[in-house]
Amino acid sequence: MADAVENKKNIAEGVPTVTLTIDGRETTVPKGTTVLMAARGLGIHIPTFCWHPKLKPMGSCRMCYVEIEKMPKLQVSCALEAMDGMVVLTDSDLVKRGRRAIIEFILMNHPLDCPTCDKGGECDLQDQTFAHGVDDSRFDFQKYRFTEGTEGSTFDDLRIGPEIVLNRNRCILCYKCVRANKEAFGEYDLGAYERGNIMEIHRAPGRQVDNPFSGNLVEICPVGALTNTDWRYKIRVWLTQTTSSICPFSSSGVNTLLYKDDHQQKIFRTTSRPNDDIDDGWLADVTRYGYQIATSPDRLQTPLIKKDGQQVPATWKEALEIINKRLNEIKDKKGRVCIGGIVSPSLDNATLHSFSKLIRVTLGSNNIDYRTQYRMLPKEPENVYDAMSARSFKISDIDDSDVIVAFGSDLVKEHPNEYLRIRKACNFHSASVYSVNPYRVKSADVARREMIYKVGTEEVFLNGLCLAAIEAGMAEGGDLKEKISPSTAAEAAAICGVDAEHLKELAAAMANGRKVTFIAGELVSRSRERLCISSALANLTRLLGLENKGQVSILPHYANSFGAGKLGLLPQPPEGIRNALTELWGAWPEAEPLTTDGMLINMKKEEVNGCIALGCNPVMLYPDREFARESLEKLDFLLVADLYETETTGLADVVLPLASWAEYDGRYINLEGRVQRANRALKPRFESKPGYEIVEAIAEQIGDKLYESSDQCEQEISRLVESSNVQPLPDKYFDVRPAEEESDEEYPIALFVGDDPHHSGHLTEKANSLFNFCGEAYIEMSSELAKKLDLKEGDSARVESKVGKIIVPVRISTTINNDVVFIPRNFSSTTVTALLMRKKRTDRVKISKVVN
Amino acid sequence: MKEILKALVDVIWKMPQGLLVTFKHMFKKPITLDYPKKKEPMAPRFKGLHYLERYEDGSERCVCCGLCAAACPADAVYMEPDENENGERLAKVYEINMLRCIFCGFCEEACPEEAIFLGREYEFATDSREGFIYSKDQLLVPHPRKESAFKRTIRRIRKIYGVEESR
Repeated sequence: MADAVENKKNIAEGVPTVTLTIDGRETTVPKGTTVLMAARGLGIHIPTFCWHPKLKPMGSCRMCYVEIEKMPKLQVSCALEAMDGMVVLTDSDLVKRGRRAIIEFILMNHPLDCPTCDKGGECDLQDQTFAHGVDDSRFDFQKYRFTEGTEGSTFDDLRIGPEIVLNRNRCILCYKCVRANKEAFGEYDLGAYERGNIMEIHRAPGRQVDNPFSGNLVEICPVGALTNTDWRYKIRVWLTQTTSSICPFSSSGVNTLLYKDDHQQKIFRTTSRPNDDIDDGWLADVTRYGYQIATSPDRLQTPLIKKDGQQVPATWKEALEIINKRLNEIKDKKGRVCIGGIVSPSLDNATLHSFSKLIRVTLGSNNIDYRTQYRMLPKEPENVYDAMSARSFKISDIDDSDVIVAFGSDLVKEHPNEYLRIRKACNFHSASVYSVNPYRVKSADVARREMIYKVGTEEVFLNGLCLAAIEAGMAEGGDLKEKISPSTAAEAAAICGVDAEHLKELAAAMANGRKVTFIAGELVSRSRERLCISSALANLTRLLGLENKGQVSILPHYANSFGAGKLGLLPQPPEGIRNALTELWGAWPEAEPLTTDGMLINMKKEEVNGCIALGCNPVMLYPDREFARESLEKLDFLLVADLYETETTGLADVVLPLASWAEYDGRYINLEGRVQRANRALKPRFESKPGYEIVEAIAEQIGDKLYESSDQCEQEISRLVESSNVQPLPDKYFDVRPAEEESDEEYPIALFVGDDPHHSGHLTEKANSLFNFCGEAYIEMSSELAKKLDLKEGDSARVESKVGKIIVPVRISTTINNDVVFIPRNFSSTTVTALLMRKKRTDRVKISKVVN
Repeated sequence: MKEILKALVDVIWKMPQGLLVTFKHMFKKPITLDYPKKKEPMAPRFKGLHYLERYEDGSERCVCCGLCAAACPADAVYMEPDENENGERLAKVYEINMLRCIFCGFCEEACPEEAIFLGREYEFATDSREGFIYSKDQLLVPHPRKESAFKRTIRRIRKIYGVEESR
C-alpha cells in the first residue's frame, strides 16, 4: 500500500492511473504502462530477451511470463497493459516452470559453442539459462544447422556488412535487431525469412547491413548471433575494464563506455552508456568505431622539427626551445599582434581555455578562432549568428514536440542522434516533421512534408514563412513587412521554388503548434550568408513566439563547438564573455581581431607571421584549399599539434604529437550546454601530450606560467560557464534583404560538401572499421543526372569548378535531386576543398566522364 | 677436574653409542632413490606439465575461450585469441608460467573443448625464469595423445550422460 501512495505522488496531475498488485505489493502506474514496467518500478526483475526499453513490445521470446489471477494461462508481461485490480505473480511455481520450458525450447537449436562465441561472458542467454534453466537436455535429435553460404568452414559465420558477422545458428529469433533497424533507424536491410525450424534473420537480398547505426544491432543482440568484427576474437569481456567517456565526434555529447585492457594500452570497443536525456542508448557508427583513431599505429610519435626543409624527429625540449626562439624572433621583428591561433572545436574545455589565454595574454594577439571549416568574412560581428546558435536547446524536448522543422540540415550525417529522436517523436508521439532542404536528404523519410528550396535561398524561405504567417493573420507583423523582401509569401515561394501552399502549411503548423522544435543545421552555419539567415530566423522566432513554446537553434557541429563559443574562442566574443575574461585575466589585447579567414588573408599579405594550429587541419577543411595552403606557406613560423601527419603538419616548422580524447580527463560542453566529462582510458601513446599540457609547456618556455594548477583553470572555466547565460534576442526585427546571386551557365550543378554518414572531420579515415564502411570519396548524384552525363555507378567523373578539378568515382543515390551533387570531405586522398571558393555562397561545378 | 672427567666419559662411552646408529644404517635399505637412474612410481592421476591436445585430424582443440585462465587460481595462464583463414577461432598466444602454476588441474577441468591436460612430465628445470614460461609451441603436442586418467574420466562421464564427442 505504501508503494502505491509513493508512486502516485510521482505521477503528474490529470494523468489517468491504474492500481494493481504485483507479488503482494500494490502499485499505481499511469494508464498504458505494461505489467513489466510496473514490476520494474517496484524493483521486481522479470527476465526478458526481446524486450527493449526504446522499442515497441513484441512478445516473441515469451521469457517474461507472469501469472495473473483469473487468467487461465501465463501472460507475457512486456506486452500486457496493466489493468485496475490485476493481481500479478512473477515468481510462482507455474511461472518458474514456464520460464524453464522457454529456456529449454530456445536451447533446442542453440549451438553449445560458447567457448568460441564472442558474447560469452556477457550473454543474456547464458545468464538466464544459469538462473532459470534446466541443467540437462532431453533433446535427442541433431540440432538444426544453417550451413548455406558457409561451406568449407567449421563455423557458420556470415559477413553481412562491413563490420557485422551473423551466425544464424546462435540466433534465438527475438527480432530485436530487425525491429530496431526498422523502428528506430528506419532501415530495411535486415529481415526475418522462412518459418519454423529454418527461420532465420538475414540481410535483405543483395543488400549489405551498412547503415550508419548498424553497430547498435550488435549491441542489442541478446546472444552472439550478431557480432562486431572489431571485437571479434580479440579479448574476453571479463578481462577488460570500462571507462566512461563521451563521443568526440558529435556535438550531442553521446555517452559511451570504452573497454580497455588492464595495462591501458588498447581500447577494444565502445558501447553505449544509455542516457535518456541525450542518446537513448543508440550510438552512430562513427561514435562506436571512432575509438580506433586513438590506437592506430600511424599516430605521430615524437615532436618533429624542420631542419633544412626536412622534418626530423626531436625531443620535446628541443621543440619547445625552437618554438620559444621563433616566437621571440617574430615578436622582435613585428610586435606582438602578428600571431594567429586556430584551434579545433573537438578539444576539451581546459585546452581551449588555456589556449585562449596563451594567445590573448601571453602572446597578446587577438586572432583566435575555432571555425576552420566555415566560409566567413575577414572581420564579422556575427552577433545574431552566435545568439541563434547558442539558444537553450534540450535534445529530450524533441520527444514531445508536435511540430519539428529540420531546416538546412542533413540530419543523418550531421546529427544522427537528433535524427533518431525525431524518428521517435514521429513513431511514438505522432509529431509532424517538416524537412526543408536544398536537396533531398535521407532524414526526410519521416517528414510529413518535404520542401526543397532553390540552392542559396535560405533567407528568402524564412522571410516567406514570416510573410505567410502575417498574411494568414496568425501573427502581428509590426514593422517586419517593411524590413524584409520580397513583399509577399507567394513571391518568396516563387523565388525559392517551393509551393506557396506548402509554405502556408508550414507557417500555420509552426504558429499553431503546441510545442515547436526548429533545428537549423550545417547548411546554415557553413553558408557565407549565415548572418543574414540567422537574422531571418531571429525574425521568425520573434514573430511566432517560438522561444515561448518550444526551441529554436542552429545546432553546432563539433564535440565542443558550443563550449568554444562559451569560452570566448571567437575573434569577437559576446560582450558578457569578453567582460568576464577581462576580469579573470586582468587584460584584453588591444589589437584588431581577425577570423580564420582574416588570418589567412593577412598571412598571405605577410602581416600575420606566426600561427599556432591546435588539433586542426585548415588545408584540408578550409573551404578554399589552395588559398589556405598558400597562406600557410608564407608564414615565418607554423606550429601544428595533431594526432596524425596531415597536409597542415606537412607545412609546419614544428609538429607536436597531441593526445587523443581517450588519453586524458577532459570536459566538453554539448549542444545543450551540458558539461560532460570524458575520462582517461589510455596512457598517452608514444610521446604525445594532452592539449592543455602542450599549451602550458609553450607558455612556460616563453616565461609566463598560465596556471599554478589545473584546478585554477577549471575554476576559471566553471566561472565563465556559469556567467554566460543564453542571450535574450533583441526586441526588434532585423533587416533581411537577400542578395541576388548570378548563376553561371558554364557550371550548372550545385556542389555540397559535408561529412559522409560514417565519418566526421579529418581523422576518422584512420579508423579501420570506418574505413571499411567507406574508404574513399565519391560523388553522389541522382540516376537521372548520371544518365544525362552518361555515367554509371563506379565510373570516374571529372568534377571541375572555376578554381580546381578532381576525379572521383560516382555513386548513384535515390534521394538526391537532379541539379545537386554531394562529395564528402573526410578523405585526404580526395582534395574536395580544392573545388571551393571562399567568396562564393554556392559552389557550382560541371561534371564530365573520364574517358580512358 | 670434574669437567675433564665428564668429557672423558663422553668420548669413551657415548661416542661409540652414537656411531653405532650410523654403522647400523650401512646394512639397511636406503630411503633415498638413485635418481635419475631410478624413479618413484607415479600416482595414476599425477598432474605434471600441461599439454595442449589435438583432434584426430591434427587440428588444434584449443579455441582460446579463456576459461582456463579464468579458472586459474594462480593467474598463470595468458592467452590472446586470433582468427584463422576459415574464420575459426584459435590461440595466437598461449602461455603458462610454470613458476606460478600450482598444478591444481583446474584448467583441465574448466576446459570445455578438452584441449588442455596436465601430463606426467615433471622434469622441466631450466636455469632462467623466462624458460619457465611455456609458449604454445612447447605445449602443443605434435600428435594427439591417446590415454590419460582424466581422459578416461571424461569418457566415463560422457557414457553416463549419453553424449557423443563433438566433431
